[in-house]
Amino acid sequence: MKAPPFIYHRPETLDEALALLTEHGDDAKVLAGGQSLIPLMGLRMGRPAHVVDIGRVPKLDAIHVDSDGAVTIGALVRHEQANKSPAIAEHAPLIAQTMPWVAHRAIRTRGTVVGSIAHADPAAEMPAVVLATQATMTATSTRGDRTIAANDFFEGYLDTALEADEILTSVTFPAWPANAVSAVTEVARRHGDYALVGFVGKLVVGDDNVITDAALAFLGAASTAVRVTAAEAVLQGAPANDESFAAAAEVVSAELEPPSDIHGSTAYRKHLAGTLTLRGLQSAANRIGASA
Amino acid sequence: MTDTTSNTDTPRLQAERDAGGSIVDLSVTVNGTHHQVSVEARRPLSDVIREDIGLTGTHLGCEHGVCGACTVLIDGEPARSCLMLGAQAEGTEITTIEGLAGPDGELHPIQQAMMEAHGFQCAFCAPGFLMSAVALLDENPDPTTAEIREELSGNLCRCTGYQSIVAGVETAVRVMKESGK
Amino acid sequence: MSSTNRSGLVGQSVQRVEDDRLLRGNGQYIADLDPDNVVHAVFVRSPMPHAKINSIDASAARRAPGVVAVITGDDLKDTTHPFPPLLMLPGLYTPMYHALSADKVRLVGDPVAVVLAESRALAEDAIELVEVDYEPLEPVADIADALSPSSEPLWEKAGSNVVMDHTDTFGDIDAVFAGADRVITERFECQRQSNQPMETRGSLVMVDDDGHMTIHNATQSSHALRWLVAALTDKQSMGASLKAIAKNKDRRSSFASGMKSFLQSNSDDLKDQDNSGAAAQFKKDKSFLGAMNKIGVGLLAKESYPTVKAQDIGGGFGAKGSIAREDIAVAAAALSVGRPVKWIEDRIENLMDGGQAREESMTVSIAVDNDGTFRGLKVDMVMDQGAYPGFPVGAPMISKMIKVMFPGSYKWDAYEIRSRIVATNKGKYVAYRGPWANETWARERMIDVTAAALGISPAELRLKNMIGEDAMPTAMITGPTIDATMSTRKTLEHALTLVDMEQFEADRAEAAERGHCLGIGIASYHEAAPGPPNYWDSINPGSGMLMPEEGYTTIEADGSVVIYTSQMPHGQSHETTYAQVAADELGVALDDVKLVYGNTDKTSFSLIGTGGSRGGPIGGGVVRKTSREVRRQIAEKAADMLECAADDVEIIDGNIHVAGVPARGITFAEVAKQAADDGAKGDKYGTPFEYGTNYNGAGDGGWSTATQICVVDIDLGTGKVTFPRYLVVEDCGPIINPAIVNGQVRGGVAQGIGSVLYEQATYDEDANLQSATYMDYLLPTAMEIPEVEVHHLETHSEGFENDFRGVGEGGMIGAPAAVTNAIENALSDYNARVTTQYLPPTKILELAGQISPD
Repeated sequence: MKAPPFIYHRPETLDEALALLTEHGDDAKVLAGGQSLIPLMGLRMGRPAHVVDIGRVPKLDAIHVDSDGAVTIGALVRHEQANKSPAIAEHAPLIAQTMPWVAHRAIRTRGTVVGSIAHADPAAEMPAVVLATQATMTATSTRGDRTIAANDFFEGYLDTALEADEILTSVTFPAWPANAVSAVTEVARRHGDYALVGFVGKLVVGDDNVITDAALAFLGAASTAVRVTAAEAVLQGAPANDESFAAAAEVVSAELEPPSDIHGSTAYRKHLAGTLTLRGLQSAANRIGASA
Repeated sequence: MTDTTSNTDTPRLQAERDAGGSIVDLSVTVNGTHHQVSVEARRPLSDVIREDIGLTGTHLGCEHGVCGACTVLIDGEPARSCLMLGAQAEGTEITTIEGLAGPDGELHPIQQAMMEAHGFQCAFCAPGFLMSAVALLDENPDPTTAEIREELSGNLCRCTGYQSIVAGVETAVRVMKESGK
Repeated sequence: MSSTNRSGLVGQSVQRVEDDRLLRGNGQYIADLDPDNVVHAVFVRSPMPHAKINSIDASAARRAPGVVAVITGDDLKDTTHPFPPLLMLPGLYTPMYHALSADKVRLVGDPVAVVLAESRALAEDAIELVEVDYEPLEPVADIADALSPSSEPLWEKAGSNVVMDHTDTFGDIDAVFAGADRVITERFECQRQSNQPMETRGSLVMVDDDGHMTIHNATQSSHALRWLVAALTDKQSMGASLKAIAKNKDRRSSFASGMKSFLQSNSDDLKDQDNSGAAAQFKKDKSFLGAMNKIGVGLLAKESYPTVKAQDIGGGFGAKGSIAREDIAVAAAALSVGRPVKWIEDRIENLMDGGQAREESMTVSIAVDNDGTFRGLKVDMVMDQGAYPGFPVGAPMISKMIKVMFPGSYKWDAYEIRSRIVATNKGKYVAYRGPWANETWARERMIDVTAAALGISPAELRLKNMIGEDAMPTAMITGPTIDATMSTRKTLEHALTLVDMEQFEADRAEAAERGHCLGIGIASYHEAAPGPPNYWDSINPGSGMLMPEEGYTTIEADGSVVIYTSQMPHGQSHETTYAQVAADELGVALDDVKLVYGNTDKTSFSLIGTGGSRGGPIGGGVVRKTSREVRRQIAEKAADMLECAADDVEIIDGNIHVAGVPARGITFAEVAKQAADDGAKGDKYGTPFEYGTNYNGAGDGGWSTATQICVVDIDLGTGKVTFPRYLVVEDCGPIINPAIVNGQVRGGVAQGIGSVLYEQATYDEDANLQSATYMDYLLPTAMEIPEVEVHHLETHSEGFENDFRGVGEGGMIGAPAAVTNAIENALSDYNARVTTQYLPPTKILELAGQISPD
């Protein structure tokens, strides 16, 4: 289980890295944390001729909080760094809730938040967080920066709107509403495995216990992370209680058609998505004591 | 201390060049000793540690990041050495199982505790568990049993059913608390 | 026997001797060896499950950077013999096959060539350049395919994919079934599993200038490997072999005398052997006689036999008891390239063909009276042995163990089992910890099914039919003697006292409120560990010769104690437990004893090595017997020196003295020196004191027993199963080291839990492997495995001086039954009937009626 040979590049600057990608295009692969890329290469399922290791590129490892509370995470921020970041805990509680679900610590210390988004594994957590929060991706190439909206980013299984010469240099999560609550929950065959299905949810509940905004995103439920807008619509304007949550869960179960594999059937995953929706929403609501 | 093991002219590296793979000059510190080696760019850190530096206490159980036997500390943080290129470790300080005991050979409390608890059987998984346990205790010197189990769930053992390994970590917690380490 | 020299170590959880080196990272596993000039072997493996090989073109691979050689199946046909049929059973066809396939591939992963290169990575590059022209054949993916007469036979000479079909009947089965009140029938299916030691297989072969081969190999069975490599590699023409034999008369006569002594010492077993199996094999494939002749003559002509070595081995669970085709190919490669050849299997290879097990379908009928009395038992079993039989122990031998053990600890009037073995395009079937365990699973499952049908509690039904001490001595209906060591009933009775059923019912009601289902399950069993003397003859007449093992205790000239064992420790802590036994016998400290193992030059021939729960009873028994005799020799010599009677010699902490006068003691070194000066010199190791014996455990009881009870908690929202409680009451007789026994039990239970909830070697309908990584073959982690309470009973086998019994397999044997019984119990409100061993979350929710199958 050894990777095929490649030409290794370790650029010292972003410009140098971008130039390499411009030069080698599809023949090159960006290496950040490597927790997905390295095993794929070891299995010879990934065989780039050029590997561009951006690990030494400066300034990509920052977590930046904007004056309006938006949080921008750079390409080299590790999951574990985000997990322990006071700024994330304060300004991006959904990300803070997500991090402990990501694999195991020895993976989180190397794997990057942004890399996980760029890799776009439908069973990974961060793509669902991107959809739930409507984050904005910043792709950089020698042609300059461009931003990509959450709903336009994930195009298919391990496939995104990124071009071959682009690096996903940062992802910006909009300011977290003061009255929003959230929950992340998932079920995997074993603790730390890719989830069979996972739930990432955000609720905004008014003082009258009426839901004013809901985002329900799922991992492991389709060829990309997905939101179930029909279930969100059920919640919109409804009281934050078990009845509403159960109604939303039912819609989720009905709407999703997750693929079957050796770890779980489609029917199982639909059932599980419903369970997780109900429990996730209850858990989120508990955070404001708004549960009926 | 420096232990230089670089030899760029081996048949292995010559063939690697012919195969179109880069060779990198790598400088790392392992268990306090500095090493300068020339290795294939595709070589994972685990192979560099085991074969180029010659520290075989770190084991390879799956080479795709699931079993955890290859876990080492990189600049104090646990990482899978099979999921990193050696090249990515440039300039880092690495600790392996061989680096746990003191310079006079005194066992680290986690090693002593595992001995007392009959932690392992075949012990092929032991390097990964020990390094994960050390990382846990560095960060959280007083973990609950549930926290220990969760932290160790990134390491697979096929012999023990885990109970003795968990007990070993609990023993180490107690000993370290008592000794104030 | 004097008790005055005992150091009291047996029975204590002394710390492991192995741990200092292992915990420092100073162990030496096979992959750690890195000799100069080594080349790395990587196998070219078939991507097709079933295909003819039209041609192989390795020319591009041979030219690839760093490649030293490429050896194909055709090349190996010239230099190696095929694996011979070893266990020829009535009704069985055993195929012959070479280390590398040349004409046909039979599974995804079938090795067709091996590339040797300067690094593993370069070799992996080159295997992609080996062009194999495959012509696909219809795959045989499962038991149903294999039973179909129209399936494409994997082995043409077998005529079909059913390679064995044999029925054993005990008692008047028809009359008993006709006379019983009811007959209840159910079919149980166990999925394919894999042993999965954390260390994969591996071999490093070096041939020195004199042609002597040294094989470093992670093997449970060093001597068997040694002889098989000697037999199969370095193939010569018959003429060349005969010439070599004629030239070397000494070798001929020494071989002949060795053969004679083997025949003499096993004459009874040999007489008992049933030759109808060989006759049947001959009918299907006459070539095997010629091949075996050539192998035999070739062996006789050998200059030297290989040395097999291993220090630390990272687990095996039976898989490393198999001699692999790769082992033969790597040895042949080393002979041909003249450089050390190292093969370290990677995890994908290991999941493909490192050993799979347990895939059995069993239709079980119980004839029972309405009051719950068991009358008759009928089993129709089909075992899926995959593409190649495990060697030397595979499905055929294991079918016989299942045959003997299926009736369990219960009384029956009649029993019949039909055993079929089929060939399919999947990984080879090997012994996996408690290889016969599905008899316990299917029987204990069936008892719960029967209890439900009769409206009797599972515990009550077991107690009603389980053989108790009042009926002993007796025998299983299949033959083996039952004495007090068959204490299953005691373990069940004790286990039931540990469970508070009222509390359980209260917990169950509370859990139901939360959408959870609680259930409780029992499994009780006895296992041959190593079994009474007639156990092995009940398996197959004459197979008692698998049992003996020779070992030595020696005292070197400097007084140190050195024990030689043919056991191959791979996690069982032999260095500790054998030192405990020897130290107690000799009156020395634990660290005064050194164990020599893992080197065929230094240890005696043993067919098996470590496996079959032999480490405690056989290997440990050898240590006890030989140490006891050496202690006697020392006492005799010391008596001369101390001028006392030998009976008055006391040894405490290595101080040999007249009883009660420790101040005037002498040391082992002094006694050893005196003995050496007086000319004492052992035959085998040349030490002043030595004693070896060939011990088969016969007569010393032989059963280990246990009852496992677990409580499961099923979350109906997710299908996840957890264990609020798991307890084991085990009885392996006197315990050498309780912590080590607990570890064996817990490790076995963990694997059994894995069998039910996590592990399946998965193939699609075309026999393509779906579980080739650890993302898809799931070993449970510390979050999935619960705490397991272990309670010990210690039933002694009266009248025998050695009474250790094996405990390595029981945890695994009982767990699948206890867990699946608990799950069915938990889902009783949903009328669930658990008939498969594998119950992943999807299956759990299907059983609970929460979802429909896709």
